[in-house]
Amino acid sequence: MYDRIFAGALLLLSGLIAWAAAQFDVPFQYEPLGPKAFPYILSALLAVAAGWLMIRPSADDWKPTKEVVLRLGGALVLMYGYAFIYEPLGFIIATAIVGGVFSWLFGEKPIKAGVYALVMSVVSFFLLTDLLQLNVPVGTVFGG
Amino acid sequence: MEVLSALATGFSVAFTPLNLFLVLFGCFTGTLIGSLPGIGPINGVAILLPLAYSIGLPPESALILLAGVYYGAEYGGRISSILLNVPGDAGAIMTTLDGYPMSKRGEGGRALAISAVSSFAGSMGALLMMVIMAPLLSELAIRFGPTEYVMLMVFAFTCLATMVGSRPIKTLIGTLIGLVLATVGVDSGTGVLRFTMDIPNFFDGVDFLVVVIGVFAISEVLVLLEQWVNNDLKVTPVGKSFVTFADIVKVRWVILRSTVIGFFIGVLPGTGASIASAVAYGTEKRMAEGDSDEFGKGDIRGLAAPEAANNASAAGAMVPMLTLGIPGSGTTAILLGALLMFNITPGPLLFEQKPEIAWGLIASMFLGNIALLVLNLPLIGVFVRLLSIRQSYLIPVIVMLTFVGIYSIHGDSFDLFFMVILGIFGFILRKLHFSLAPVILGLVLGEVLEENLRRSLSMSGGDWSILLSGNITIGLAIASVLALVLPFLLKRIKGKGRTAQLQAELDD
Repeated sequence: MYDRIFAGALLLLSGLIAWAAAQFDVPFQYEPLGPKAFPYILSALLAVAAGWLMIRPSADDWKPTKEVVLRLGGALVLMYGYAFIYEPLGFIIATAIVGGVFSWLFGEKPIKAGVYALVMSVVSFFLLTDLLQLNVPVGTVFGG
Repeated sequence: MEVLSALATGFSVAFTPLNLFLVLFGCFTGTLIGSLPGIGPINGVAILLPLAYSIGLPPESALILLAGVYYGAEYGGRISSILLNVPGDAGAIMTTLDGYPMSKRGEGGRALAISAVSSFAGSMGALLMMVIMAPLLSELAIRFGPTEYVMLMVFAFTCLATMVGSRPIKTLIGTLIGLVLATVGVDSGTGVLRFTMDIPNFFDGVDFLVVVIGVFAISEVLVLLEQWVNNDLKVTPVGKSFVTFADIVKVRWVILRSTVIGFFIGVLPGTGASIASAVAYGTEKRMAEGDSDEFGKGDIRGLAAPEAANNASAAGAMVPMLTLGIPGSGTTAILLGALLMFNITPGPLLFEQKPEIAWGLIASMFLGNIALLVLNLPLIGVFVRLLSIRQSYLIPVIVMLTFVGIYSIHGDSFDLFFMVILGIFGFILRKLHFSLAPVILGLVLGEVLEENLRRSLSMSGGDWSILLSGNITIGLAIASVLALVLPFLLKRIKGKGRTAQLQAELDD
C-alpha cells in the first residue's frame, strides 16, 4: 500500500515535470534539444517506472508502534524548530535546547541531558568559531 | 617509469605538513566514525564535507581528508561488527559472520588484528592495481566524446539498477529522482530557469551538500531513533589473543583473491563494499569445499575475505571516479560532488592537468593505510573504549554538526529547513526499501549526462542514432543490455532462494 501511495505521488510528479517543462519560455536556442527535452525524457521514464511500481508494489513491512511514531514526530518538530531558532537565538542557546531534548529522547535523564547539552554547545561554539573559523550565528536577538 | 615520476609528484603533495596532518586526522576520524554503530562511511563523509568546504581547504587537501575518512571508516566498520555483532554499515555485514563468533570465544584481539592486517593488505593491493589501471583507463577515456559519455552513464545506471538495492525498479526510480533534482536551476545552455518555483535559493540549482546531508545524515538520525531501545550494548572483551604468523600464512591466498575480487567489483559503477565483501565471502566458502564447516563459526578465512574485499573495493571505486568522472559507489559519488564544488571536473584529463589532485590523493592513500595499520594494531583499545559511547551523547553532536555544516555554506536558514525536509524524504525512501546511493549518483551525474546528450545531438543535428554510431558506444550498449539481462538469467538458473536472501541482507 505504501508503495502504491508513493507511486501515485511519483506519477503526479512526472505529470508536473512535463507540464512545467512545457511552460518554459525559451527565447533562443542553438541546439536541437534545448532545455525541455531532458525533463520530458525524465518525466516519461518516471511515469513508466512509477506505473510499474503501482502495478507490482512490495508488501508493507513498516509497522511502527504508536510510541515510535510519537518519538519520530517529536524529533521532526525538534529539528524543524532547530532550523527556526538557529539564526535568531544563536548557536549556543539553540543547540543547548535541541541537543538536550535529543539526549533525553535517546534515554538520558532530563537534568543530565540538559547539563551535557549546555557544555557541548558552549565548548563546540568556541571550537567551531576560534579553531575552525566557521560561520556560526551568535544570534540576531543579541545583535549578532 | 612515467607512473613512478607521477607518483613522486603525488608524494610531494601528500608529504606537505597540512596534508600529512589531514591524512592522519581523516584516518583517525574515519576509524572512529566507522566503529560507531550505525554511522557508516557515507554519513561520515557527508557530515565532514561541508566543514571541509567552509574552512577553506585547498581542493587536494579536502579530497585527501575526505578520502581518509572514507577508507578509515571501512577499517573502523569491523570493530563494532566483531565486538558487538552490529555492523557499522552494509559493507561490514559479512564481517560479523565469523568475527563475532571469534570474539565470543575470547579471541577478540586475534579477530581484530587479523582483520586489520587483511584490510591493510586489501587496500595496498588495490592501490597498486589502481596505480597501474588508472592511467590506462584515463588514456582510453581521452578518446571518449559526448556520445560515449552518454552511453557510459547509461551503462552505469543499468549496473546500478540490477545490482544494488531490493528491486531494480526502485533503484531506477531513485536514480530518476536524483536526475530530476539535478535539472533544477538555471539551464547553462540557454539561461532558462527550470523548476525553481520562484525560490531564489534554487536559481543556481539544488545544493548538493544539502541533499546529501538531508537524505543521509538526517534520515540516519531518524532511523537510529526508531531503532533505539533502552539498554546499552554489551561489548565483548578484547582479550589478550593476537594474530600469529601462522594465521597470516594460512589466509594469504584468501586475502589475495579477495583483494582482486574487491577491486574489480569496486571499479564497476554503482557496486560498492557490500557486494564486494559478500562475493568474496561466498567465493572463499565455495573454495574451501570439504573444509568449510567452520565458516560462520569463527573461521579466520571467513574474516579475512570480506575485510580484504571491502577495503579493496573502496580503492577500486575511486578509479572510475577519478578517470571517468563516474563514481563507483555512493560514497565516491559524494567525493565526486566535492570535487565539482571546487570546480574540478574529474575525467581523463584530471591526471594530466591536475596531477597534484589525482596523484596526491593516491599517494595519500598509501600513507593513510600505513597510518591505519598502526592505529589499528597497538591503539585498538582506544577505539574499543569509544564503542561504549552512549547514543544519548552521540546523537546531539551529530545533529549539531549537520546544522553547523549546512549553515556555514551560505549562512542562510533556508538551507536548514530544506535539509530537514529532505531528511524526511530520505527516511520515507529507506522505509520503502529504496537505496539512497542512486539518488546521489543521479544528482551528481545529471548535469553531465544532460550536457553530453545535448552536445551529442548538436553534433548530429538532432539525429538520435548518433548514440549508437561508434565501436565504443555499441560496446557499452551491449554491456548495458547484458547487465540488464544476466542477473535475471542467473537467478532463473540458480533458483530464487539464495539470491533473494543475499539481496535482503544487502538491502539495508
